[in-house]
Amino acid sequence: MIRAERLTKDYGTVVAVRGLSFHVGKGEVVGFLGPNGAGKSTTLRMLAGFIGPTEGSVEIGGFDVQADSIEARRQLGYMPETSPLYPEMRVGEYLRFRAEIKKVPRAKRRAAVDRAMELAVVTEMRDTLIQHLSKGYRQRVGLADALVASPPLLILDEPTAGLDPNQIREVRRLIRGLGEEHTILLSTHILSEVESTCSRALVIDRGRLVAEGSIEELRALREADGAMLSLRDPAGVALAALRRRTDIQNLRQEAGAEPALYRVRFEFVKEGGSKGPAERDSKGAKGAHGSGEHADVTLESIISELVQLGVFVREASKNRASLEDVFAQLTQGEAS
Amino acid sequence: MSGWLAIYRREMLSLWVSPLAWVLLFVFLMIQGVSFYLMVQHFANFSGASMDYGPVAAYFGQSIFIPMSLIILCPALTMRLFAEERRSGTIEALLTAPVSAWGVVIGKYLATLTTYVLMWAPTLLYVIILRKTGTVDWPVVGASYLGLFGIGAGYLALGMLMSAVSKSQLIALIMSLLFIFGLFILGIGEYVFEPGPLRDACAHVSVFSQLVDFSKGIIDARRLVFDLSLVALPLFLTARVVDSWRLD
Repeated sequence: MIRAERLTKDYGTVVAVRGLSFHVGKGEVVGFLGPNGAGKSTTLRMLAGFIGPTEGSVEIGGFDVQADSIEARRQLGYMPETSPLYPEMRVGEYLRFRAEIKKVPRAKRRAAVDRAMELAVVTEMRDTLIQHLSKGYRQRVGLADALVASPPLLILDEPTAGLDPNQIREVRRLIRGLGEEHTILLSTHILSEVESTCSRALVIDRGRLVAEGSIEELRALREADGAMLSLRDPAGVALAALRRRTDIQNLRQEAGAEPALYRVRFEFVKEGGSKGPAERDSKGAKGAHGSGEHADVTLESIISELVQLGVFVREASKNRASLEDVFAQLTQGEAS
Repeated sequence: MSGWLAIYRREMLSLWVSPLAWVLLFVFLMIQGVSFYLMVQHFANFSGASMDYGPVAAYFGQSIFIPMSLIILCPALTMRLFAEERRSGTIEALLTAPVSAWGVVIGKYLATLTTYVLMWAPTLLYVIILRKTGTVDWPVVGASYLGLFGIGAGYLALGMLMSAVSKSQLIALIMSLLFIFGLFILGIGEYVFEPGPLRDACAHVSVFSQLVDFSKGIIDARRLVFDLSLVALPLFLTARVVDSWRLD
Protein backbone atom coordinates (compact mmCIF):
# COMPACT_ATOMS: atom_id res chain seq x y z
CA MET A 1 0.00 0.00 0.00
CA ILE A 2 2.82 2.37 0.86
CA ARG A 3 6.27 2.05 -0.59
CA ALA A 4 8.75 4.69 0.44
CA GLU A 5 12.18 4.62 -1.17
CA ARG A 6 15.13 6.51 0.28
CA LEU A 7 12.95 9.43 1.35
CA THR A 8 14.95 12.50 2.25
CA LYS A 9 13.72 15.92 3.27
CA ASP A 10 16.31 18.61 3.51
CA TYR A 11 15.09 21.97 4.80
CA GLY A 12 18.41 23.60 4.08
CA THR A 13 19.36 24.17 7.70
CA VAL A 14 17.92 20.90 9.02
CA VAL A 15 17.73 17.49 7.44
CA ALA A 16 14.39 16.29 8.81
CA VAL A 17 14.33 12.88 7.14
CA ARG A 18 17.32 10.98 5.74
CA GLY A 19 17.14 8.05 3.38
CA LEU A 20 14.02 6.51 4.89
CA SER A 21 12.84 3.33 3.13
CA PHE A 22 9.95 1.17 4.26
CA HIS A 23 6.77 -0.33 3.04
CA VAL A 24 3.38 -0.98 4.48
CA GLY A 25 1.41 -3.91 3.15
CA LYS A 26 -2.30 -4.04 2.49
CA GLY A 27 -4.35 -4.58 5.65
CA GLU A 28 -1.52 -3.77 8.06
CA VAL A 29 -1.89 -1.40 10.99
CA VAL A 30 1.51 0.14 11.40
CA GLY A 31 2.70 2.45 14.12
CA PHE A 32 5.17 5.13 13.19
CA LEU A 33 7.06 5.69 16.36
CA GLY A 34 9.57 8.30 17.33
CA PRO A 35 10.32 11.06 19.82
CA ASN A 36 9.14 14.58 19.10
CA GLY A 37 11.10 16.08 16.26
CA ALA A 38 12.16 12.73 14.83
CA GLY A 39 10.66 13.56 11.44
CA LYS A 40 7.38 11.70 11.81
CA SER A 41 5.13 14.50 10.62
CA THR A 42 7.48 15.45 7.83
CA THR A 43 7.47 11.87 6.59
CA LEU A 44 3.67 11.57 6.78
CA ARG A 45 3.30 14.86 4.93
CA MET A 46 5.49 13.50 2.17
CA LEU A 47 3.41 10.32 2.06
CA ALA A 48 0.20 12.34 1.86
CA GLY A 49 1.65 14.46 -0.94
CA PHE A 50 1.52 17.74 0.97
CA ILE A 51 5.24 18.36 0.65
CA GLY A 52 7.63 16.87 -1.84
CA PRO A 53 10.73 14.91 -0.83
CA THR A 54 14.15 16.37 -1.56
CA GLU A 55 15.16 12.90 -2.71
CA GLY A 56 13.51 9.54 -3.01
CA SER A 57 9.98 8.57 -3.95
CA VAL A 58 6.69 7.42 -2.51
CA GLU A 59 4.13 5.10 -4.01
CA ILE A 60 0.63 4.90 -2.57
CA GLY A 61 -1.36 1.93 -3.81
CA GLY A 62 0.90 1.73 -6.85
CA PHE A 63 0.62 5.44 -7.75
CA ASP A 64 3.61 7.72 -7.50
CA VAL A 65 2.79 10.62 -5.18
CA GLN A 66 4.63 13.10 -7.38
CA ALA A 67 3.75 11.91 -10.87
CA ASP A 68 0.26 10.50 -10.25
CA SER A 69 -0.55 12.89 -7.48
CA ILE A 70 -4.35 12.98 -7.75
CA GLU A 71 -4.74 9.20 -8.03
CA ALA A 72 -2.35 8.65 -5.13
CA ARG A 73 -4.31 11.10 -2.99
CA ARG A 74 -7.55 9.33 -3.82
CA GLN A 75 -6.16 6.23 -2.13
CA LEU A 76 -5.70 7.84 1.24
CA GLY A 77 -7.42 9.60 4.05
CA TYR A 78 -4.95 11.84 5.82
CA MET A 79 -5.43 13.38 9.21
CA PRO A 80 -2.87 16.13 9.83
CA GLU A 81 -1.35 16.55 13.25
CA THR A 82 -3.27 19.64 14.33
CA SER A 83 -6.56 18.77 12.57
CA PRO A 84 -6.82 22.11 10.85
CA LEU A 85 -10.49 22.86 10.14
CA TYR A 86 -12.43 25.86 8.88
CA PRO A 87 -13.77 27.52 12.05
CA GLU A 88 -16.68 29.20 10.27
CA MET A 89 -18.22 25.97 9.02
CA ARG A 90 -20.55 23.56 10.77
CA VAL A 91 -19.37 20.00 11.30
CA GLY A 92 -21.86 18.45 8.86
CA GLU A 93 -21.21 21.18 6.32
CA TYR A 94 -17.47 20.67 6.53
CA LEU A 95 -17.71 16.91 6.10
CA ARG A 96 -20.06 17.30 3.12
CA PHE A 97 -17.51 19.65 1.57
CA ARG A 98 -14.71 17.18 2.23
CA ALA A 99 -16.76 14.31 0.79
CA GLU A 100 -17.38 16.37 -2.32
CA ILE A 101 -13.77 17.29 -2.96
CA LYS A 102 -12.82 13.68 -2.30
CA LYS A 103 -15.15 12.71 -5.14
CA VAL A 104 -17.73 10.77 -3.17
CA PRO A 105 -20.61 10.53 -5.68
CA ARG A 106 -23.46 12.92 -4.93
CA ALA A 107 -25.95 10.13 -4.25
CA LYS A 108 -23.70 8.52 -1.64
CA ARG A 109 -22.48 11.69 0.00
CA ARG A 110 -25.08 11.96 2.75
CA ALA A 111 -24.63 8.31 3.75
CA ALA A 112 -20.84 8.68 3.69
CA VAL A 113 -20.96 11.75 5.93
CA ASP A 114 -23.38 10.08 8.35
CA ARG A 115 -21.22 6.98 8.54
CA ALA A 116 -18.02 8.97 9.13
CA MET A 117 -19.70 11.04 11.85
CA GLU A 118 -20.99 7.92 13.52
CA LEU A 119 -17.62 6.17 13.42
CA ALA A 120 -15.83 9.18 14.85
CA VAL A 121 -18.65 9.83 17.34
CA VAL A 122 -19.36 13.41 16.29
CA THR A 123 -22.95 12.93 15.10
CA GLU A 124 -24.37 15.05 17.90
CA MET A 125 -22.11 17.94 16.83
CA ARG A 126 -23.40 17.96 13.24
CA ASP A 127 -24.82 21.49 13.47
CA THR A 128 -22.17 22.98 15.73
CA LEU A 129 -19.76 25.55 14.36
CA ILE A 130 -16.27 24.12 14.33
CA GLN A 131 -14.94 27.16 16.19
CA HIS A 132 -17.06 26.13 19.18
CA LEU A 133 -15.69 22.60 19.35
CA SER A 134 -13.27 21.38 21.99
CA LYS A 135 -9.87 20.05 20.97
CA GLY A 136 -11.08 16.47 21.37
CA TYR A 137 -14.01 17.00 19.06
CA ARG A 138 -11.88 18.78 16.49
CA GLN A 139 -9.54 15.84 16.51
CA ARG A 140 -12.47 13.52 15.89
CA VAL A 141 -13.87 15.69 13.12
CA GLY A 142 -10.41 15.39 11.54
CA LEU A 143 -10.72 11.64 11.87
CA ALA A 144 -14.21 11.68 10.35
CA ASP A 145 -12.75 13.68 7.47
CA ALA A 146 -10.07 11.04 6.89
CA LEU A 147 -12.77 8.35 6.87
CA VAL A 148 -15.42 10.08 4.83
CA ALA A 149 -14.43 8.76 1.41
CA SER A 150 -13.67 5.26 2.81
CA PRO A 151 -10.15 5.25 1.35
CA PRO A 152 -8.19 2.01 1.46
CA LEU A 153 -5.36 3.73 3.35
CA LEU A 154 -5.53 5.94 6.42
CA ILE A 155 -2.58 8.07 7.47
CA LEU A 156 -3.16 9.49 10.93
CA ASP A 157 -0.70 11.92 12.46
CA GLU A 158 -0.90 11.57 16.25
CA PRO A 159 -4.59 10.72 16.32
CA THR A 160 -4.83 10.74 20.12
CA ALA A 161 -2.82 13.88 20.85
CA GLY A 162 -4.76 16.25 23.06
CA LEU A 163 -7.51 13.81 24.02
CA ASP A 164 -8.51 12.82 27.53
CA PRO A 165 -7.98 9.21 28.66
CA ASN A 166 -11.54 8.13 27.85
CA GLN A 167 -11.39 9.63 24.39
CA ILE A 168 -7.99 8.05 23.84
CA ARG A 169 -9.44 4.65 24.67
CA GLU A 170 -12.34 5.27 22.31
CA VAL A 171 -10.12 6.38 19.46
CA ARG A 172 -7.83 3.39 19.93
CA ARG A 173 -10.82 1.07 19.87
CA LEU A 174 -12.01 2.80 16.72
CA ILE A 175 -8.61 2.41 15.06
CA ARG A 176 -8.51 -1.28 15.92
CA GLY A 177 -11.96 -1.66 14.35
CA LEU A 178 -10.95 0.29 11.26
CA GLY A 179 -7.86 -1.86 10.92
CA GLU A 180 -10.09 -4.70 9.79
CA GLU A 181 -10.91 -3.03 6.49
CA HIS A 182 -8.32 -0.29 6.11
CA THR A 183 -4.59 -0.17 5.95
CA ILE A 184 -3.49 2.27 8.63
CA LEU A 185 -0.28 4.12 9.30
CA LEU A 186 -0.41 6.16 12.48
CA SER A 187 2.30 8.17 14.11
CA THR A 188 2.75 8.55 17.81
CA HIS A 189 5.38 9.13 20.43
CA ILE A 190 3.44 7.01 22.92
CA LEU A 191 4.58 3.41 22.94
CA SER A 192 1.55 1.90 24.60
CA GLU A 193 -0.50 3.29 21.75
CA VAL A 194 1.44 1.21 19.27
CA GLU A 195 1.12 -1.81 21.52
CA SER A 196 -2.63 -1.44 21.84
CA THR A 197 -3.47 -0.68 18.22
CA CYS A 198 -0.77 -1.77 15.80
CA SER A 199 0.47 -5.02 14.40
CA ARG A 200 3.82 -3.61 13.37
CA ALA A 201 5.94 -0.61 14.18
CA LEU A 202 8.55 1.53 12.51
CA VAL A 203 10.78 3.36 14.93
CA ILE A 204 12.48 6.49 13.66
CA ASP A 205 14.86 8.87 15.26
CA ARG A 206 16.50 11.92 13.79
CA GLY A 207 15.00 11.10 10.43
CA ARG A 208 16.38 7.56 10.28
CA LEU A 209 14.72 4.21 10.67
CA VAL A 210 16.26 2.67 13.79
CA ALA A 211 14.03 -0.40 14.20
CA GLU A 212 11.23 -2.15 12.45
CA GLY A 213 9.24 -5.22 13.32
CA SER A 214 6.03 -6.70 14.61
CA ILE A 215 4.91 -5.75 18.08
CA GLU A 216 6.02 -9.17 19.30
CA GLU A 217 9.42 -8.62 17.82
CA LEU A 218 9.73 -5.23 19.42
CA ARG A 219 8.49 -6.61 22.67
CA ALA A 220 11.09 -9.33 22.42
CA LEU A 221 13.70 -6.62 22.28
CA ARG A 222 12.70 -5.54 25.72
CA GLU A 223 12.11 -9.10 26.88
CA ALA A 224 14.05 -9.75 30.04
CA ASP A 225 17.57 -8.84 29.54
CA GLY A 226 18.10 -9.42 33.21
CA ALA A 227 16.77 -10.78 36.46
CA MET A 228 16.89 -10.15 40.17
CA LEU A 229 17.08 -12.79 42.89
CA SER A 230 16.56 -12.24 46.57
CA LEU A 231 18.50 -14.88 48.47
CA ARG A 232 19.11 -16.18 51.96
CA ASP A 233 22.42 -17.87 51.71
CA PRO A 234 23.74 -19.16 55.07
CA ALA A 235 26.56 -21.13 53.46
CA GLY A 236 27.65 -18.26 51.20
CA VAL A 237 27.86 -20.40 48.08
CA ALA A 238 25.40 -18.65 45.77
CA LEU A 239 27.69 -15.98 44.34
CA ALA A 240 30.41 -18.42 43.49
CA ALA A 241 27.89 -20.69 41.78
CA LEU A 242 26.45 -17.83 39.79
CA ARG A 243 29.90 -16.62 38.72
CA ARG A 244 30.64 -20.04 37.28
CA ARG A 245 27.68 -19.86 34.90
CA THR A 246 28.40 -18.71 31.34
CA ASP A 247 24.81 -17.85 30.43
CA ILE A 248 24.65 -14.76 32.65
CA GLN A 249 26.80 -11.67 32.96
CA ASN A 250 27.22 -8.40 34.85
CA LEU A 251 26.54 -9.97 38.21
CA ARG A 252 25.97 -7.39 40.95
CA GLN A 253 25.26 -7.84 44.63
CA GLU A 254 23.04 -5.55 46.70
CA ALA A 255 21.84 -5.43 50.27
CA GLY A 256 18.49 -7.12 50.80
CA ALA A 257 15.35 -6.00 52.57
CA GLU A 258 16.33 -7.91 55.74
CA PRO A 259 19.82 -8.31 57.21
CA ALA A 260 19.90 -12.01 56.37
CA LEU A 261 18.96 -11.43 52.75
CA TYR A 262 20.86 -10.05 49.85
CA ARG A 263 19.98 -9.44 46.28
CA VAL A 264 21.82 -10.28 43.12
CA ARG A 265 21.14 -8.81 39.75
CA PHE A 266 22.48 -10.08 36.46
CA GLU A 267 21.85 -10.04 32.76
CA PHE A 268 21.28 -12.97 30.49
CA VAL A 269 23.74 -13.62 27.74
CA LYS A 270 21.70 -13.62 24.60
CA GLU A 271 21.49 -16.72 22.51
CA GLY A 272 23.67 -16.78 19.44
CA GLY A 273 25.79 -13.80 20.40
CA SER A 274 24.58 -10.29 21.14
CA LYS A 275 21.98 -8.90 18.80
CA GLY A 276 21.94 -5.17 18.82
CA PRO A 277 18.52 -3.58 18.97
CA ALA A 278 19.29 -1.73 15.75
CA GLU A 279 19.30 -5.11 14.04
CA ARG A 280 16.35 -4.68 11.76
CA ASP A 281 16.05 -7.74 9.59
CA SER A 282 13.31 -10.09 10.69
CA LYS A 283 15.85 -12.81 11.37
CA GLY A 284 17.60 -10.73 13.96
CA ALA A 285 14.32 -9.85 15.61
CA LYS A 286 13.28 -13.50 15.64
CA GLY A 287 16.53 -14.33 17.40
CA ALA A 288 15.79 -11.73 20.04
CA HIS A 289 12.36 -13.21 20.48
CA GLY A 290 13.91 -16.62 21.09
CA SER A 291 15.99 -15.18 23.90
CA GLY A 292 12.78 -14.31 25.76
CA GLU A 293 12.03 -17.99 26.29
CA HIS A 294 15.69 -18.66 26.71
CA ALA A 295 15.74 -16.27 29.65
CA ASP A 296 12.94 -18.19 31.36
CA VAL A 297 14.75 -21.48 30.97
CA THR A 298 17.99 -19.98 32.21
CA LEU A 299 16.32 -18.49 35.24
CA GLU A 300 14.63 -21.78 36.12
CA SER A 301 17.89 -23.67 35.92
CA ILE A 302 19.65 -21.07 38.09
CA ILE A 303 17.01 -21.35 40.76
CA SER A 304 17.08 -25.11 40.85
CA GLU A 305 20.87 -25.08 41.04
CA LEU A 306 20.83 -22.63 43.94
CA VAL A 307 18.17 -24.65 45.78
CA GLN A 308 20.27 -27.77 45.40
CA LEU A 309 23.19 -25.92 46.91
CA GLY A 310 21.06 -25.13 49.96
CA VAL A 311 20.38 -21.51 49.10
CA PHE A 312 16.91 -20.21 49.93
CA VAL A 313 15.41 -18.25 47.07
CA ARG A 314 12.97 -15.77 48.54
CA GLU A 315 12.13 -13.89 45.38
CA ALA A 316 12.94 -14.09 41.73
CA SER A 317 11.88 -11.67 39.05
CA LYS A 318 12.86 -10.94 35.52
CA ASN A 319 13.23 -7.26 34.99
CA ARG A 320 11.30 -6.64 31.84
CA ALA A 321 12.66 -3.50 30.43
CA SER A 322 9.64 -1.44 29.50
CA LEU A 323 9.05 -0.65 25.86
CA GLU A 324 9.98 2.85 26.94
CA ASP A 325 13.44 1.56 27.80
CA VAL A 326 13.73 -0.14 24.45
CA PHE A 327 12.63 3.05 22.83
CA ALA A 328 15.17 5.10 24.76
CA GLN A 329 17.80 2.51 23.97
CA LEU A 330 16.94 2.56 20.28
CA THR A 331 16.81 6.29 19.94
CA GLN A 332 19.67 7.21 22.24
CA GLY A 333 22.05 4.70 20.76
CA GLU A 334 22.28 7.01 17.79
CA ALA A 335 23.09 10.03 19.87
CA SER A 336 26.23 8.68 21.44
CA MET B 1 -9.89 21.72 -12.58
CA SER B 2 -11.38 18.89 -10.59
CA GLY B 3 -13.15 19.88 -7.40
CA TRP B 4 -13.46 23.58 -8.25
CA LEU B 5 -17.21 23.69 -7.64
CA ALA B 6 -16.96 22.39 -4.07
CA ILE B 7 -14.18 24.88 -3.36
CA TYR B 8 -16.17 27.67 -4.97
CA ARG B 9 -19.17 26.96 -2.75
CA ARG B 10 -17.06 26.74 0.38
CA GLU B 11 -15.32 30.03 -0.41
CA MET B 12 -18.67 31.74 -0.99
CA LEU B 13 -19.90 30.49 2.35
CA SER B 14 -16.72 31.55 4.12
CA LEU B 15 -16.79 34.99 2.55
CA TRP B 16 -20.40 35.73 3.35
CA VAL B 17 -20.55 34.34 6.88
CA SER B 18 -17.60 36.52 7.84
CA PRO B 19 -18.29 40.11 8.83
CA LEU B 20 -15.62 41.23 6.36
CA ALA B 21 -17.80 40.88 3.27
CA TRP B 22 -20.66 42.78 4.89
CA VAL B 23 -18.42 45.56 6.16
CA LEU B 24 -16.87 45.88 2.72
CA LEU B 25 -20.29 45.89 1.09
CA PHE B 26 -21.50 48.59 3.48
CA VAL B 27 -18.50 50.85 2.95
CA PHE B 28 -18.48 50.23 -0.77
CA LEU B 29 -22.17 51.11 -1.18
CA MET B 30 -21.76 54.18 1.02
CA ILE B 31 -19.01 55.44 -1.25
CA GLN B 32 -21.02 54.66 -4.36
CA GLY B 33 -24.04 56.36 -2.85
CA VAL B 34 -22.08 59.52 -2.12
CA SER B 35 -20.63 59.43 -5.61
CA PHE B 36 -24.07 59.04 -7.15
CA TYR B 37 -25.50 61.82 -5.01
CA LEU B 38 -22.74 64.23 -6.02
CA MET B 39 -23.23 63.36 -9.67
CA VAL B 40 -26.98 63.88 -9.54
CA GLN B 41 -26.55 67.19 -7.75
CA HIS B 42 -24.02 68.29 -10.33
CA PHE B 43 -26.43 67.55 -13.17
CA ALA B 44 -29.33 69.19 -11.32
CA ASN B 45 -27.33 72.43 -10.92
CA PHE B 46 -26.31 72.56 -14.56
CA SER B 47 -29.51 71.23 -16.05
CA GLY B 48 -29.43 73.79 -18.86
CA ALA B 49 -25.82 73.28 -19.86
CA SER B 50 -25.08 70.94 -22.70
CA MET B 51 -22.50 68.32 -21.87
CA ASP B 52 -20.67 65.75 -23.89
CA TYR B 53 -21.57 62.98 -21.48
CA GLY B 54 -24.73 61.86 -19.76
CA PRO B 55 -25.33 60.95 -16.12
CA VAL B 56 -24.40 57.28 -16.64
CA ALA B 57 -21.09 58.19 -18.22
CA ALA B 58 -20.51 60.70 -15.44
CA TYR B 59 -21.23 58.21 -12.72
CA PHE B 60 -19.06 55.42 -14.13
CA GLY B 61 -16.43 57.38 -15.95
CA GLN B 62 -15.89 60.78 -14.35
CA SER B 63 -15.76 59.86 -10.70
CA ILE B 64 -12.54 59.25 -8.83
CA PHE B 65 -14.58 57.26 -6.30
CA ILE B 66 -14.80 54.18 -8.47
CA PRO B 67 -11.11 53.53 -9.11
CA MET B 68 -10.29 54.45 -5.52
CA SER B 69 -12.88 52.10 -4.08
CA LEU B 70 -11.67 49.28 -6.31
CA ILE B 71 -8.13 49.76 -5.05
CA ILE B 72 -9.39 49.02 -1.53
CA LEU B 73 -12.16 46.55 -2.30
CA CYS B 74 -10.32 44.02 -4.45
CA PRO B 75 -7.30 43.42 -2.19
CA ALA B 76 -9.63 43.15 0.81
CA LEU B 77 -11.67 40.49 -0.94
CA THR B 78 -8.67 38.41 -1.95
CA MET B 79 -6.26 38.82 0.96
CA ARG B 80 -7.48 35.82 2.94
CA LEU B 81 -7.82 33.35 0.03
CA PHE B 82 -4.54 31.52 0.54
CA ALA B 83 -2.81 33.44 3.33
CA GLU B 84 -5.46 32.46 5.87
CA GLU B 85 -5.39 28.79 4.85
CA ARG B 86 -1.63 28.71 5.19
CA ARG B 87 -1.65 30.47 8.53
CA SER B 88 -4.29 28.21 10.04
CA GLY B 89 -2.94 25.06 8.39
CA THR B 90 -6.16 24.15 6.59
CA ILE B 91 -4.17 24.24 3.37
CA GLU B 92 -2.73 20.87 4.43
CA ALA B 93 -6.16 19.23 4.43
CA LEU B 94 -7.08 21.00 1.20
CA LEU B 95 -4.00 20.02 -0.79
CA THR B 96 -3.96 16.41 0.39
CA ALA B 97 -7.48 15.95 -1.00
CA PRO B 98 -7.61 14.79 -4.63
CA VAL B 99 -8.04 18.26 -6.12
CA SER B 100 -5.76 19.80 -8.71
CA ALA B 101 -4.00 23.10 -8.17
CA TRP B 102 -6.17 24.57 -10.92
CA GLY B 103 -9.30 23.33 -9.19
CA VAL B 104 -8.28 25.20 -6.03
CA VAL B 105 -7.26 28.35 -7.90
CA ILE B 106 -10.34 28.54 -10.13
CA GLY B 107 -12.75 27.74 -7.30
CA LYS B 108 -11.32 30.45 -5.08
CA TYR B 109 -11.03 32.99 -7.88
CA LEU B 110 -14.58 32.56 -9.13
CA ALA B 111 -15.88 32.93 -5.58
CA THR B 112 -14.25 36.36 -5.20
CA LEU B 113 -15.33 37.34 -8.69
CA THR B 114 -18.93 36.42 -7.89
CA THR B 115 -18.72 38.38 -4.66
CA TYR B 116 -17.36 41.36 -6.59
CA VAL B 117 -20.26 41.18 -9.03
CA LEU B 118 -22.74 40.88 -6.16
CA MET B 119 -21.25 44.01 -4.58
CA TRP B 120 -21.88 45.97 -7.74
CA ALA B 121 -25.37 44.59 -8.20
CA PRO B 122 -27.13 47.10 -5.89
CA THR B 123 -25.76 49.98 -7.98
CA LEU B 124 -28.18 48.93 -10.72
CA LEU B 125 -30.73 50.75 -8.57
CA TYR B 126 -29.05 54.04 -9.48
CA VAL B 127 -29.60 53.32 -13.14
CA ILE B 128 -33.22 52.53 -12.43
CA ILE B 129 -33.56 55.81 -10.53
CA LEU B 130 -32.06 57.66 -13.49
CA ARG B 131 -34.52 55.95 -15.77
CA LYS B 132 -37.40 57.52 -13.79
CA THR B 133 -36.24 60.97 -14.80
CA GLY B 134 -35.18 60.39 -18.37
CA THR B 135 -33.96 57.89 -20.86
CA VAL B 136 -31.12 55.59 -20.12
CA ASP B 137 -28.81 54.34 -22.82
CA TRP B 138 -28.73 50.65 -21.87
CA PRO B 139 -25.81 49.66 -24.14
CA VAL B 140 -23.75 52.33 -22.39
CA VAL B 141 -24.77 50.91 -19.03
CA GLY B 142 -23.79 47.45 -20.24
CA ALA B 143 -20.44 48.69 -21.52
CA SER B 144 -19.79 50.47 -18.22
CA TYR B 145 -20.42 47.35 -16.19
CA LEU B 146 -18.30 45.32 -18.63
CA GLY B 147 -15.45 47.77 -18.04
CA LEU B 148 -15.82 47.49 -14.28
CA PHE B 149 -15.97 43.71 -14.54
CA GLY B 150 -12.80 43.58 -16.60
CA ILE B 151 -10.88 45.84 -14.24
CA GLY B 152 -12.12 44.02 -11.13
CA ALA B 153 -11.34 40.61 -12.63
CA GLY B 154 -7.73 41.64 -13.15
CA TYR B 155 -7.37 43.22 -9.71
CA LEU B 156 -8.83 40.14 -8.01
CA ALA B 157 -6.49 37.80 -9.88
CA LEU B 158 -3.53 39.95 -8.82
CA GLY B 159 -4.80 39.99 -5.25
CA MET B 160 -5.12 36.22 -5.19
CA LEU B 161 -1.55 35.81 -6.39
CA MET B 162 -0.37 38.10 -3.60
CA SER B 163 -2.34 36.05 -1.10
CA ALA B 164 -0.68 32.89 -2.38
CA VAL B 165 2.83 34.26 -2.01
CA SER B 166 2.42 35.69 1.49
CA LYS B 167 1.63 33.89 4.71
CA SER B 168 -0.12 36.83 6.32
CA GLN B 169 -3.31 38.50 5.19
CA LEU B 170 -1.93 41.90 6.03
CA ILE B 171 1.13 41.43 3.80
CA ALA B 172 -1.14 40.12 1.03
CA LEU B 173 -3.36 43.18 1.41
CA ILE B 174 -0.48 45.63 1.32
CA MET B 175 1.26 43.97 -1.60
CA SER B 176 -1.84 43.87 -3.76
CA LEU B 177 -2.67 47.45 -2.78
CA LEU B 178 0.77 48.48 -3.95
CA PHE B 179 0.46 46.58 -7.22
CA ILE B 180 -2.99 47.92 -8.03
CA PHE B 181 -2.10 51.42 -6.96
CA GLY B 182 1.00 51.11 -9.14
CA LEU B 183 -1.15 50.27 -12.15
CA PHE B 184 -3.36 53.25 -11.35
CA ILE B 185 -0.36 55.59 -11.10
CA LEU B 186 0.98 54.22 -14.37
CA GLY B 187 -2.31 55.25 -15.95
CA ILE B 188 -1.83 58.81 -14.75
CA GLY B 189 1.31 58.82 -16.86
CA GLU B 190 -1.01 59.43 -19.79
CA TYR B 191 -1.48 62.97 -18.57
CA VAL B 192 2.16 63.47 -17.57
CA PHE B 193 4.33 62.28 -20.44
CA GLU B 194 4.83 63.88 -23.83
CA PRO B 195 3.09 62.12 -26.73
CA GLY B 196 5.11 59.05 -27.66
CA PRO B 197 5.40 55.35 -26.96
CA LEU B 198 5.64 55.87 -23.19
CA ARG B 199 2.44 57.85 -23.10
CA ASP B 200 0.73 55.29 -25.35
CA ALA B 201 1.78 52.51 -23.02
CA CYS B 202 0.47 54.39 -20.02
CA ALA B 203 -2.82 55.12 -21.76
CA HIS B 204 -3.10 51.47 -22.69
CA VAL B 205 -2.89 50.22 -19.09
CA SER B 206 -4.78 53.15 -17.57
CA VAL B 207 -7.73 52.08 -15.49
CA PHE B 208 -9.13 55.56 -15.57
CA SER B 209 -9.09 55.77 -19.36
CA GLN B 210 -10.73 52.38 -19.56
CA LEU B 211 -13.56 53.59 -17.34
CA VAL B 212 -13.94 56.80 -19.34
CA ASP B 213 -14.07 54.89 -22.64
CA PHE B 214 -16.41 52.14 -21.51
CA SER B 215 -18.74 54.59 -19.76
CA LYS B 216 -19.17 56.30 -23.12
CA GLY B 217 -20.07 52.99 -24.69
CA ILE B 218 -16.72 52.56 -26.41
CA ILE B 219 -15.74 48.93 -26.07
CA ASP B 220 -12.10 48.71 -27.05
CA ALA B 221 -11.04 45.10 -27.55
CA ARG B 222 -7.43 46.00 -26.67
CA ARG B 223 -8.56 47.00 -23.19
CA LEU B 224 -10.39 43.72 -22.77
CA VAL B 225 -7.31 41.83 -23.93
CA PHE B 226 -5.27 43.72 -21.36
CA ASP B 227 -7.79 42.90 -18.64
CA LEU B 228 -7.82 39.29 -19.70
CA SER B 229 -4.05 39.04 -19.55
CA LEU B 230 -4.19 40.63 -16.11
CA VAL B 231 -6.46 37.74 -15.15
CA ALA B 232 -4.68 34.90 -16.94
CA LEU B 233 -1.11 35.62 -15.90
CA PRO B 234 -1.74 35.87 -12.14
CA LEU B 235 -4.02 32.82 -12.24
CA PHE B 236 -1.35 30.83 -14.01
CA LEU B 237 1.31 31.97 -11.54
CA THR B 238 -0.95 31.20 -8.58
CA ALA B 239 -1.50 27.66 -9.84
CA ARG B 240 2.28 27.29 -10.19
CA VAL B 241 2.79 28.58 -6.64
CA VAL B 242 0.22 26.11 -5.29
CA ASP B 243 1.90 23.28 -7.17
CA SER B 244 5.28 24.36 -5.85
CA TRP B 245 4.13 23.88 -2.24
CA ARG B 246 3.38 20.29 -3.08
CA LEU B 247 6.58 19.65 -4.96
CA ASP B 248 9.13 21.05 -2.61
